[in-house]
Amino acid sequence: MSGSTPPTASRSPSASSPSQTQDTITNGADVDRLVLQYLRAKGHNVAEKALLSEIEGSSSDAKNEGLKTINAEELVKTLAVFVQKPSRPGDNALKESSTVLSELSAMGNPPALQTLISNISSVGSEEILAEDPLDKPEGFRELVAWVEGSLDMYRPEFRPILFPIFCHFYLDLIQAGRKDAALQFFATFAPQLEAAHSATLQRLSTLLLPAHVQNDELAQRFRDEKYFIRISRSGFGLLLGWLTEGIGGEAMGAGYGFYGEKGKRGRVAVMQVVNNHLRFDVTSSTSASLPPNTWEESTGLTSSLIPHANGTQSKIYNPQAYNISKGDLKLGPAPIPEELRIETERVAREKAMLEGVPASQYDISLARPQVQSGMVAPTEADMLPLPPNFKAVDVEREVSAIRDARKRIRLEPSTLNGLDPTSSQASAIRARALPSICAYTLHDVPEGAPCCTFSQDSSLMAVGFSESYIRLWNLKGEKLRGMRSDFSATSIRDSTSLRKIKEKKGSSTRKLIGHSGPVYSVDFDPLSGSAAPPKYLLSASADGTSRLWSMDTMTDLVAFRGHENPVWDVKWSPLGTYFATASRDRTARLWSTDRIACVRIYAGHLGDVDCVRFHPNSLYLATGSSDWTARLWDVQKGSCVRVFLGHQGPVSTLAISPDGRYLASAGEDLAINLWDVGSGKRIKKMTGHTASIYSLAFSAESSLLLSGGADWTVRCWDVRNSGGPPSKRDTTTSSNNSHKFGEEGIIESTSDMISAFPTKRTPIINVQFTPRNLCLVGGIYQSPETR
Amino acid sequence: MATKPPKARTGQLHHTGVYKADSIKDLAEMLNINISDAIATALASDVEYRIHQVVEEAAKFMRHGRRTTMSTSDIEQALRVLNIEPLYGHTTHNPPTFRRAAPAYNAASSGSAISGAVYFVEDEEIDFDRVLREEKIIMPKGVSWTAHWLAVEGVQPLTPENPPPVPRDVDVSSPETSKPNGVVAAPSAPPLTMINGTGIANNIKKPQQQQQTQQHLVKQVLSRELQLYYTRLTSSLLPPSSDFAKRTAALASLRSDAGLQALLPYLIRWVGEGVVGALKEGGQTESDGKVLEVLMEVIGSILENNTLFVEPYLHQLLPPLLSTLLHSSLPRSHSTQLRTISSQTLSGLLTKHSTTYPSLSPRIMKTLLLALISPGKSKGTREGAIRGLIGVGKEAVRKGLVESGGAKVVGSEVQGHEMGDWVEDEALTKSIMDALRVLRPPSDSEMSEALNLSNDADLHISTRLRDVLGEYFAQKVEGDAAWARAILGENNNDNLVMGHGS
Repeated sequence: MSGSTPPTASRSPSASSPSQTQDTITNGADVDRLVLQYLRAKGHNVAEKALLSEIEGSSSDAKNEGLKTINAEELVKTLAVFVQKPSRPGDNALKESSTVLSELSAMGNPPALQTLISNISSVGSEEILAEDPLDKPEGFRELVAWVEGSLDMYRPEFRPILFPIFCHFYLDLIQAGRKDAALQFFATFAPQLEAAHSATLQRLSTLLLPAHVQNDELAQRFRDEKYFIRISRSGFGLLLGWLTEGIGGEAMGAGYGFYGEKGKRGRVAVMQVVNNHLRFDVTSSTSASLPPNTWEESTGLTSSLIPHANGTQSKIYNPQAYNISKGDLKLGPAPIPEELRIETERVAREKAMLEGVPASQYDISLARPQVQSGMVAPTEADMLPLPPNFKAVDVEREVSAIRDARKRIRLEPSTLNGLDPTSSQASAIRARALPSICAYTLHDVPEGAPCCTFSQDSSLMAVGFSESYIRLWNLKGEKLRGMRSDFSATSIRDSTSLRKIKEKKGSSTRKLIGHSGPVYSVDFDPLSGSAAPPKYLLSASADGTSRLWSMDTMTDLVAFRGHENPVWDVKWSPLGTYFATASRDRTARLWSTDRIACVRIYAGHLGDVDCVRFHPNSLYLATGSSDWTARLWDVQKGSCVRVFLGHQGPVSTLAISPDGRYLASAGEDLAINLWDVGSGKRIKKMTGHTASIYSLAFSAESSLLLSGGADWTVRCWDVRNSGGPPSKRDTTTSSNNSHKFGEEGIIESTSDMISAFPTKRTPIINVQFTPRNLCLVGGIYQSPETR
Repeated sequence: MATKPPKARTGQLHHTGVYKADSIKDLAEMLNINISDAIATALASDVEYRIHQVVEEAAKFMRHGRRTTMSTSDIEQALRVLNIEPLYGHTTHNPPTFRRAAPAYNAASSGSAISGAVYFVEDEEIDFDRVLREEKIIMPKGVSWTAHWLAVEGVQPLTPENPPPVPRDVDVSSPETSKPNGVVAAPSAPPLTMINGTGIANNIKKPQQQQQTQQHLVKQVLSRELQLYYTRLTSSLLPPSSDFAKRTAALASLRSDAGLQALLPYLIRWVGEGVVGALKEGGQTESDGKVLEVLMEVIGSILENNTLFVEPYLHQLLPPLLSTLLHSSLPRSHSTQLRTISSQTLSGLLTKHSTTYPSLSPRIMKTLLLALISPGKSKGTREGAIRGLIGVGKEAVRKGLVESGGAKVVGSEVQGHEMGDWVEDEALTKSIMDALRVLRPPSDSEMSEALNLSNDADLHISTRLRDVLGEYFAQKVEGDAAWARAILGENNNDNLVMGHGS
């Protein structure tokens, strides 16, 4: 545990062997030579003794005992005495370890020395000899100075280089057992990287012993994977120039020895990391032509985040390349079965007659979204197998969908563009563009409620609590009645006898007990749509089960087991029957309500799968994960078809637009990203929230995005606005004192945020739109007394 | 053991991060194990890493629990999934309290000055008998929900459920903007819910509760001195049975003392609530009358105080004033006096503020006229209205009694049922006569010449007098020709009369 053994024994070969080959100009060789010269000149009396005593000292000698478990630092310390005095700068003789060995062996006492050298060489003798804890901070300082001193046009593309080198230096120092040097290094340089990488830095800062580096997943990913950086051709050239020759660099007359020994050694350390762990994607485009946040999409340890393309072993580093390789997606609306369509049309016509409105008001096309250009609609054959016959409830749902589409509040935030806030019609236009939001606030919740949802017909609210139960409320004040348990099955013949066994008493709220851990997600079944109250409820809990509850009997029907870990999220497929779960076990799973085992497992995320959402046509499943990515899976094949890279923190929630075109994802980096599902490209990044975002929802026209979060606000975003930093003219929403994100710690809201509605101390845990575009939000009031 | 570069050597112990090597040594001591510094340092690093692992896992549970504070249950869940035995005995309901150990112990054990403090969880000894005897178990309230509009078509309504709008420094109308009618909006006492933080939960409160919360509110917003002043002032004014001298002193202080501006909204609210309280139970008892009298005097004093800026509160002052004036059944013993006082106060208010607030007198006039003329009002109300009109001024009396036929209405009522309440009739008649006397021109002598009915012009005036005032009052006025003419608005100008008469 003293930290002495690991560096020698278990240094990964991948890290050390390349350094041997490329170390032709390292000082290690230089040092060796100097040592040898010194040894030779002095008749190797002192050094010989020291070395010999180390090797020969057996267990009998207590003092040697201590030295036996010597580590790299001790050795360096011992040898440093010889290194420092006769420095001969400029003497750059190239030596390889084999030459050193042969020279040493020629000097007498060969067996002992050879043992020493061969012991050392398992680590890389040069590395140990060269180890000077000041090298790395010095090298990093040089690099920072060089990056910051570079031309404005190159600086943005050089900055991403700093972070991986910082990480590797830190890990190197820890691995070498130099905790103090590592901590000092961290304290010196971490603050300037904090803004963009705080999560990773936090994680790294917890690693303090070599054993931690061995075991920590993130550290191992840094060690084993290439860190991917995009850089322009000319920028790459400049970087190479600096690494080899030290061209550029710090300002004139700035301190000591950039061209001296120290600077060179630092550069070599940087070079080692660059060679071993970095990979540059050299593009012809210049960085100036790219938007500022593009680095988020392609920089990082991307290789493991992106799955292998079908069967090939070649790694794909670029998410775009992967997304393209997976071909086109069928994002159009799901087809409606012919019989159901005919029946729906018939019923709709009758409804129109009954209500005395023209039949055009009950046209089925109102509710069915049109296939937009550039989108392929799936055919019946593509769909998941569903029950062959439609039921009365299906027709009712479709008809009420038509009515909803007709009566829907149109929300067109695009009309706000270029609107003069002082003009007379401004308020009228704003009223047309912005939604009405009804907030349901829960009071007196002792331990918190992680989830909340409303049924499509807005009659029921279900809330999952930390105390392992679910509570239902009838928002219309009607009584929730289950069924009695004391009845004989033979007496049930028709619906009237069913009604007879309903409970006599009831209240407008009901507790559902069954889980044995906090309930993290609840979802009402979509089958009855807005026509009738839902029949089923799904819930997911920390106890590793998801459960199906009947709203008729008010009891638990099935417990779906399979995840051994907490289940974070559960969602019904838009067409019912199937549902998906997301779990801490890093998988998402597809279940069918008529089976107790899962039917598909979607594995590939490197962290917890935090949320799942179905595509509206139910062909695809989107997942968000703690590995900072979101993915899109083919539900049937179980393969990953899109990777969305760009968040700088775990993805907390997702939403897919009703037209099937966009995916919105919110992360712990407090940003909402909008993605084009078809191409997998990021459309824009929306910032403005000042705390975690808990829920996202698209309006029925897919034109407006609503978000709610821990900062006690609900915010509206214009989906079609290009976003970007707020313009000076835009005084309606954004604050005047806008600061650059990261510099002052104040998050500037992008110009596509239309409005923000604060609540009184109520974190919003759920936002959703009713089929008629009214917005319902749910939250828990936090009274100021409770901590 | 590990060699450090010279620079880092100084910070050997406190460089190890959050978890100190000292803590490890303390723990080892507890277990009677002796460990070296190096081992302690290494162990501390490892312990810190393990703690971080658990905390990182617990953070996931916190995030998914949609909370921003980590709770002990998060840690418990994290330990569970990490396959570590949970720490028992910690619940969210009673978070552990850590106590800092006495510094003497610190210095002795660590030996170095820079060591951190030692904290320990207090293990309280509970007397079982006492708990069984005394502790009352309070059942927590059940979870409930409320719904409100967070936004209506993109605009956040200014309801108590929504937070107050954030003041923006851009051109949003400043609070000083005057309302169309020329009144500056008063910074009335802030909503109670905001101060005591009860939030949306209890929208409907009983008045008594409100009273209490108001008291509470005063204590929070005002300086201690003003609070004291307020309590002393109100307690010496009410109940009215208290010391007369004290009351006079209080009113005098209110009349002349400077620096009471901050109290003004509270005083006005106090007066308003007092009047409502006194009038609500019918206002028949003697004590109610006294209370009202005092309150009217308070209003008068407030208005007389030149250092107070009362104008923004006029709309809050007028309701108690007019209520007292026009209330149907004031305690008999005080009714005339009360109505007189309030009308005088009203008069004072109008002379002082009608210049800056031109629409004030017409509006009060309208209210009074309505009370005077509209059928079904009690005699008390009528009397109050007339006294009010006297307070407003000569023109108001003319308009109310003569031109709008107020006197006629009252006259017919008084005559209509002779069997009615004699005292009230008397008071009413007296008030009318008082009012009409306002219109009487100042005459040098008590000698007055009656209308000569044989005179054509006088006969005409007499007819008109009956026409305007009604039989009852015309008879009373007829005795004085100049008065009668003045009432009709004539200056002995026959032509004008003819013109009017036709």
